[in-house]
Amino acid sequence: MAWIAERRRRSRFESMVLPHLDAAYALARWLTRNDADAADVVQEAMLRAFRYFDTYREGDAKSWILRIVRRTCYSWLERNRPADVVPIDDEEVLDEGGTKGPAAAGDTEALLQNRSDLRRLDVLVEALPAPLREVIVLRELHELGYREIAEITGVPIGTVMSRLHRARAALRRGWDGKDIGDAV
Amino acid sequence: MQCDEIRPRLEAYLDGELAKTERAAVHDHLADCPECGPETVALQRLREGIRRSAPTYRAPEALRSRIRFALRQEAAARARQTRPAPGWLAYAASILLAVAVGSGGTFLITGERQEDAVANELIDSHLRSLLGSHLTDVASSDQHTVKPWFAGRTDVSPPAVDLAAEGFPLVGGRLDLIAGKPVPALVYRRREHVINVFVLPASHGDLGATLSRRGYSLRHWKEGDLGFWAVTDAAPSELAEFERVFRVVTKG
Repeated sequence: MAWIAERRRRSRFESMVLPHLDAAYALARWLTRNDADAADVVQEAMLRAFRYFDTYREGDAKSWILRIVRRTCYSWLERNRPADVVPIDDEEVLDEGGTKGPAAAGDTEALLQNRSDLRRLDVLVEALPAPLREVIVLRELHELGYREIAEITGVPIGTVMSRLHRARAALRRGWDGKDIGDAV
Repeated sequence: MQCDEIRPRLEAYLDGELAKTERAAVHDHLADCPECGPETVALQRLREGIRRSAPTYRAPEALRSRIRFALRQEAAARARQTRPAPGWLAYAASILLAVAVGSGGTFLITGERQEDAVANELIDSHLRSLLGSHLTDVASSDQHTVKPWFAGRTDVSPPAVDLAAEGFPLVGGRLDLIAGKPVPALVYRRREHVINVFVLPASHGDLGATLSRRGYSLRHWKEGDLGFWAVTDAAPSELAEFERVFRVVTKG
């Protein structure tokens, strides 16, 4: 009977995907920067995932669902807040100031003196452009590895690394009291 | 390794992404390099700072149960799904295509099962309106409130009549996206069920039948230069009744 098969399909989906609901919500919350929007996006993403569940093969369920949540976030933002999805400049161009930038000794000292100002750091993360924000959130808060982040965001590992680097450089400069806009 | 070889690897090292041999080399270097040591500390401090300052976002319980509910509905709808008559989906596709072209859009239906995409668009909009917190943009049973609300927001001016006396009270109106275009939707209630009426520029004639798809019922009809698509989870017979009533009243 169709409904038995459907019920089995649903409970398989729920036991596989719902354990990652918090992670899904957290990613959506960081990308939309709003509770209600994150909830709407996650619900839409879950329904979409359920619909595509048959196309899911073996693999990491968490990466799979986060990839769908991320994609749903972006299409939601494009519809509702297009200003939020302005792409960042070319990776190569932005990489400048990268490998050498934050290593400057002056920055480091200032950073060490500035250790107490933790309140602003999450605001700085929120202020990052979405492509940088998502890699820093997936790395530092979801604690995912480069390969998983590459899989979720659909970019090569090298790009994940350079974006992480740029995100960190920007955060350090911002943390240091300079305008975060200069850094990205 | 020298500092200039270490630096590009430092973050990967702290991220635990270096191969074993490289890891050991960086580790040894950091132990006694006066430059790279503080840099490492600074990066670690940044990580701790992010982790400590960032709020831990957890999915609200309400969202969890909302999703479970939506999944149950979706699964039930799939189980009830009847095989659609082959004609009507292509018909629906042609209508939406006409809408997209007519409104100057460049929307193209792609993919191997374009008819599915179109049918799903309408039902998805209906589903979204039920499950989200976004049933109406303007909540009113007064047509003098609902109708003007659409003015300036969309090209078509939907006839927002209250049908409470006929058993279909008007709940309000909403602007939805169908095939990427803003489309006005009138929202009615039938007891505990919601009927969404999407109003598009007319193309084809009446369908004259109720379609079933994923457990939802759809009807389409045309009045003047407007085309109406009604979608509901109420019984097909009630949707037919709704169409009849709606057409009688709007014809005035």
